[in-house]
Amino acid sequence: MPERRGNRTRINWPGLATIALVLALWEIALRAGLAQYQNLPTPSAIARGLAEIAGSGQLYEDAAHTLWSVLVGWAAAVAAGVVLGLLLGASPTLRRYSLASIEVLRPMPGIAFVPVGLLLFGFSLQMELMVIILPALWPVLVNTMDAVTGVHARLFEVGQTFRLSRAETLRKIILPAALPGVLVGARLSMTLALVLAVVAEMVGNPSGLGYAVVREQQAMRPELVFAYVAVIGALGMILNAALTGAVAFVFPTISGRLREVA
Amino acid sequence: MTVACDARQGAPIPDLVFSCRDVSVALPHKDGPRRVLEGISLDLFRGEVLTIVGPSGTGKTTLIRLLAGLTRSTRGTVTVNDRPIDGPPDGVVIVFQDYSHALLQWRTVARNVALGLEGRLPRGEIHERVGEALRLVRLSAHADDHPWQLSGGMQQRLQIARALAVRPAVLLMDEPFGALDAMTKAALQDELLRVREQTKSSVVFVTHDIEEAVYLGDRVAVITGTPGRIGQIVDVDLPKPRDQIVTRQLPRFLELRYRLHHAIGQTEHA
Repeated sequence: MPERRGNRTRINWPGLATIALVLALWEIALRAGLAQYQNLPTPSAIARGLAEIAGSGQLYEDAAHTLWSVLVGWAAAVAAGVVLGLLLGASPTLRRYSLASIEVLRPMPGIAFVPVGLLLFGFSLQMELMVIILPALWPVLVNTMDAVTGVHARLFEVGQTFRLSRAETLRKIILPAALPGVLVGARLSMTLALVLAVVAEMVGNPSGLGYAVVREQQAMRPELVFAYVAVIGALGMILNAALTGAVAFVFPTISGRLREVA
Repeated sequence: MTVACDARQGAPIPDLVFSCRDVSVALPHKDGPRRVLEGISLDLFRGEVLTIVGPSGTGKTTLIRLLAGLTRSTRGTVTVNDRPIDGPPDGVVIVFQDYSHALLQWRTVARNVALGLEGRLPRGEIHERVGEALRLVRLSAHADDHPWQLSGGMQQRLQIARALAVRPAVLLMDEPFGALDAMTKAALQDELLRVREQTKSSVVFVTHDIEEAVYLGDRVAVITGTPGRIGQIVDVDLPKPRDQIVTRQLPRFLELRYRLHHAIGQTEHA
């Protein structure tokens, strides 16, 4: 192929070979009758299933719903997390009053909120968003707060000696100094948001990729269950790559430092 | 609108910039307040380089932070241009020893220098001032680099350029060359004297290096003890411009060095 020479993105051939090998072994083991699970489809059947849902358009409808809830929920969690994190990071008094509550709420598994969400909002998008936002808030909030409290005292004195106003200090010193921490939180939160969206769709809001997995399981279509699981995995990779790419594009100088942290 | 910290007004300028009268400072500590400075009386006159020398633990840094408006006195008065200090004074900028913490690592060299000018001057003038400050410390070629791409000496020059860009009437320097190697230190001492000749700023320079204090200073104040007190204040009547080799070999230089060693040693053993 002549184009390959010009392609600058590095492809991890050994890594892809491993995946191909595992899929081949899986296929052979099932066909040769070495492994006997009634409902375990072969990779080729999963591929056909994927083609089927892609062809019918069902896949795009389900994926669009999940993608939308993830993005809305994540954006809300990041916005709220950054604001709360900045406030808590800036005010020792506020930290003293609320840190205990945060330490109690934070380790709670987000999934435990699903029944609460169902009670409050029924089977709906609001419920799904609540299940996403509450747990996805913490990584942003805590990382932002830590990043703000971690801003070196000297930087504030630099702001003072140049007689910066409080707004200038926030904009020119605190925010940029805390940005890498905020972005680490935002990335963790993105991964969490996808997991929570899928769970919420499985047990609560009957739409999206999570619901599709359950739906096909109940319809006894294991190859479609696996196809949807693969799509969810791919969506996670795409979201993560898109976020990393966006950060590298907007903040070229910190993306290198960020990669070391995350 | 011109920048507020510009010191070139037409009004008659009093010669006294800073004045400390019987100033004491106690800083909070886990077993109650700890006395750091005691009975400090010290003046800074316009245009002079005042070096403050003393062993570590004598409150040198606290004294310069007091002048910078970053620390408050517990007793006594500190005035700047005849007014009591209330926060960082206009036209006074401090340069810290730990340049790596004092620079904005996410900004380029040029944008670091612009920090004190943004929002106070029109764009074109900021650009001019930044260029001028970078030329003064010979960093023009690195305007678009980031601080972490520079050597320690260059980072400290950058911090000095950032301070000079606001054209301060007074430059406060807290052991600025303390973390640098001997060769870089000597080069920056000369650079500082040259820049000062051009800008005519007054300088307060804190150091624990007696030779550095004599080499740079018009006057040297000795600070000793815990809590720190001002011992002798010595006039440095060495010819200018000073020279790393010639000046340091002058009998008068050696005499001053001996005197200051003695002044510091005596009080320390007392």
